[in-house]
Amino acid sequence: MGSYVVLLYQDESRSDHMSPEEQADLLAQHGAFQAKHGSAVKIGDALQRAASARTIQVGDGSMAVTDGPFVETKEALGGFYMIEAADLDEAITIAKDVPAPHGGVEVRPVMVFS
Amino acid sequence: MARFLVLIYDDEQKWIDGAEGTEAAMQAHGKFSTDRADSIVAGEALEPTGTATSLRRDESGAVNVTDGPFVETKEALGGFYLIEAADLDAATELATEIPAPFGALEVRPVMVFS
Repeated sequence: MGSYVVLLYQDESRSDHMSPEEQADLLAQHGAFQAKHGSAVKIGDALQRAASARTIQVGDGSMAVTDGPFVETKEALGGFYMIEAADLDEAITIAKDVPAPHGGVEVRPVMVFS
Repeated sequence: MARFLVLIYDDEQKWIDGAEGTEAAMQAHGKFSTDRADSIVAGEALEPTGTATSLRRDESGAVNVTDGPFVETKEALGGFYLIEAADLDAATELATEIPAPFGALEVRPVMVFS
């Protein structure tokens, strides 16, 4: 078994404008995903919007803390799942069930240190 | 206590090349993981973006699977820590101990669903 992280990216200009019903529906879809793949899902969290982030940059002997995300992209990271799967193919099959109506997901293997 | 995701963005080529500073950063990660074990919920290093697979649903509802990261950035997401802290200031303070020699850290509050 390997560990994989599924990164959820979303266009916040779309996700910001969900109605309460749409929000509840999306939450229910995530609940259904977690119920279906409960044994594979280790951790999962939704993140507050990118604008809520703080960025820390360390230089030679200096450190700068600024408000806002480090990377500005049209589709921002909005959440993640840590999953366990036999291999990348199985991880992708699981990731296909992750709801991401305002963007998509990225599956990345977790590094193993022996 | 609240949860925060600390995203580590770094020039991944520097890590692949084992550039000067990677060894010290690895040791600093080990020290952070030990010193702050009580505050760390999870922490992982990710394989380079070349191993990523992206999934995007098209208008018809079909999932398109492509190789590569979902978002192309100069500094790529290379790892993360999920930490617990009293507030964003405390989370930022903790995060300043995490090495990111070739990039920066982003601290993002996790959403709370009541």
